[in-house]
Amino acid sequence: MASENADHAVWLRGIEKQFPGVIACAGADLRVRPGTIHALLGENGAGKTTMVNVLAGIYRPDAGEVWVNGQRRSFHSPADAIAAGVGMVYQEFRLVPTLTVAENIVLGSAPRLLRSTEIEERVAELSAAYGMAADPTRPVWQLSMGERQRVEILKSLWRNASVLVMDEPTAVLTPGEAAELGAALRAMAEGGRSVIYISHKLDQVVAFCDEATVLRQGKTVATVKDLQDVDLTSLAEMMVGSSEGGYVDRPPAVEAGPEVLSLQGVCALNDRGLPALTDINMTVHAGEIVGIVGVSGNGQKELAEVINGLRRPTEGRVTVKGRDVTGASPGDLYRMGVAYVPEDRLGVGLAPKMSVVDNAVVRSYRSQRQGMFLSISKCVKFCQSLVERFSVRVGRLNDPIAGLSGGNLQRLLLGRELAEQPSVLVAAQPSRGLDVQGVAAIQGHLVDQRAAGVGVLLISEDLDELLALSDRLIVMFEGRIMGEYGPDVTPRTILGSAMAGKAPK
Amino acid sequence: MIRPVLVRRDRVLPATQSFGFVVGILVALVLGAILLWVSGNSPAEVYERMFDSAFVGTDSLSRTLERTTPLALTGLSVAVAGSMGLWNIGAEGQMMAGATVATGVAMMADGLSGPALIAVMLASGVAGGMLLMLGPALARSHLGVSEIITTLMLVYVAIRVVEWLQVGPWKDPGSLGFPRIEEVPGQASLPGLFGRVNIGALIALGLLIVFSLAVSRTAWGYELRLAGSSPDTARYAGVSLRRKVLTALLLSGGIAGLAGTIQLTGAEVRLTPGLSNGFGFSGIIVAALALMRPSGVAVVAFVFGAVQVGGQSIQTLGVSSAISDILQAMILFGALVAAVFFNYRIRWTGPLGESSGEEIEQLEPAVEEPDV
Repeated sequence: MASENADHAVWLRGIEKQFPGVIACAGADLRVRPGTIHALLGENGAGKTTMVNVLAGIYRPDAGEVWVNGQRRSFHSPADAIAAGVGMVYQEFRLVPTLTVAENIVLGSAPRLLRSTEIEERVAELSAAYGMAADPTRPVWQLSMGERQRVEILKSLWRNASVLVMDEPTAVLTPGEAAELGAALRAMAEGGRSVIYISHKLDQVVAFCDEATVLRQGKTVATVKDLQDVDLTSLAEMMVGSSEGGYVDRPPAVEAGPEVLSLQGVCALNDRGLPALTDINMTVHAGEIVGIVGVSGNGQKELAEVINGLRRPTEGRVTVKGRDVTGASPGDLYRMGVAYVPEDRLGVGLAPKMSVVDNAVVRSYRSQRQGMFLSISKCVKFCQSLVERFSVRVGRLNDPIAGLSGGNLQRLLLGRELAEQPSVLVAAQPSRGLDVQGVAAIQGHLVDQRAAGVGVLLISEDLDELLALSDRLIVMFEGRIMGEYGPDVTPRTILGSAMAGKAPK
Repeated sequence: MIRPVLVRRDRVLPATQSFGFVVGILVALVLGAILLWVSGNSPAEVYERMFDSAFVGTDSLSRTLERTTPLALTGLSVAVAGSMGLWNIGAEGQMMAGATVATGVAMMADGLSGPALIAVMLASGVAGGMLLMLGPALARSHLGVSEIITTLMLVYVAIRVVEWLQVGPWKDPGSLGFPRIEEVPGQASLPGLFGRVNIGALIALGLLIVFSLAVSRTAWGYELRLAGSSPDTARYAGVSLRRKVLTALLLSGGIAGLAGTIQLTGAEVRLTPGLSNGFGFSGIIVAALALMRPSGVAVVAFVFGAVQVGGQSIQTLGVSSAISDILQAMILFGALVAAVFFNYRIRWTGPLGESSGEEIEQLEPAVEEPDV
């Protein structure tokens, strides 16, 4: 077997990994040749991070093989992976701000009995060799994001990593710094190392990388041998893909009802304080499903948060049923009829360690009171009614909700949000990671809500789902609306171009 | 290669925890017996004395309850913050701050009758504890500064303030030059119940019941638990995290301040730098063993108090104080270790690919949530 794999720096073979409630990887493959920069592409939740965490020894796969430099490996800890030559550069840097560049680089693997000036010299040599300028004596807290990233890369090189994994490396960089990163990675590849490059920024992927592997729903759906042969549009299409079907079809359009949600000139910042939404104008009417199309990270999350009061817009107005609700709290918005199924089900929508009952009453605990106390019997009764109405399969209601499967978590969450008949429903990635039955159930509920006169804003990365369910499609790119399209009359290629940031003709 | 891996239990049931607690103490008693035997004592005799002096007879029980009262209050103080995932490490300092403010108020209000004076002192003790917690609470809720560090550091500030007061402005003129503060007025002593127990024990019990119900059975407590368990979910549900952090920490400080004042007006006669006597720090262990549940705090504090009383009593049998201290520490350590151990179970894993879907507890904080 070894000879067959000798020409692979990394071979992840048939990786399967399941977390409570979600299947992260379902037999995904990744082969990386030495001396290449290999892009790992896919929507959020396609399994990219899980794959590289398996490679980095953080997760143990349920099934599958890990080969590094022609040898089969079984990592028990991140230290094993580092010893095998795998270097990880995470999106959030793991550096000690008060230590110097040199100290950070050698931390944990410093040669004993060596003076700090000597270490600094060696670090300086290393950074010169790869054209990554970094003053070894400066403390890390003084450095820019780009410089910190260089320190992270140098840290891996110091440990003699032959495979470097970069998770969304340009998210924190200025365009100039991103170009420098590209050059540095190229220098490393020419020196015989391999780079696994995870990014949603397809233009950079095409500019920096040689090959690509596309993951979708935990499986490898495409490998691209030469990225120069493909264009952005077809890459975007590969990521959102065309599935095997099984989507609920919406009944024919009913006449649009009154406007229930509108955004006028809304701007907002992301968690890093950079612009995430720019001049968003949109309306949602009662009885329609409006789909938000886009590669993830283009402002969808911030859009949902602004509408639900979890993020304050810096400019613009949000109105619900004609009332200005800009800056209202999440609780107030819910009482005004805005329900929200967040992308992060377990962690935002549901509290994983609390019981099924406690999670069922997240929206309604105030009305489950009897005198000054919460009535346990009322809470349980409410929870049971949700469980029955939305056919949630649960064990004991007092067990932590994290034990439920993904589909049942989502049924309970959706049911809870719909319990008090909202007029607006924002659903972010509502069917992601669910099995076929779960997808059908959730999509069925969305269509039912549309029929019941709810204005549904559906945020999804699954283009087929959006095409099947939406009455109108809005494409977002880099926090802006690229255009509005009718699902039945727009070819995928046009949507693909808009998703890649090309203005529609 | 098949090897054992510690897997964290999804949920620690109070029953499992109690069982672990008992097993830990029993194991420690067996090991302690060896220690006693090696050091030339009779384990049977020593244990009998420990048990008798902690539990048998009104006098013994009253000694144990005398210790239990401050431990229960500081344990509750830590548990109230802990039910939201916050750590008040500085109950020791808040005890001092509460007792200090209560003493100051007593000095100014010497015309008051007994019950009124006691009520005013207890209330001002709560205020004192809250006052010392105000800085850490605001820093935590508005700036995200770790309350663990700030509350701990203020312990030493509070103790030094008392040291300064007793040599400076509050020095008792009738103390013949000794650096000490005047006794609190006699009418401020808490009424006794039996033996050494005063109504402070009832106050502690009442508060435990109130908080136990508040945390588990009210909307306020639900919000507190939600915010502690999953802050993003709480925000989504419309709970103001800032306000919750602020109220949880201030209540925690207030309860510790009350504990200090009850010590001042019950067990002690005057404010001294040693008044808090380690009760605040012990409260952390009490709360941790009680899984941050107010209901568990009462039981753990009682056992803790009994161990202390029993441990001291055996010195009259000729057991050296060092051995007695080691024995007490072993019993508590045994309970703690067992409690932690019962949070985990052992799973045997094969090589890669044969493990089940469960996640292995990582010792490194480098574990990232899956982006699914």
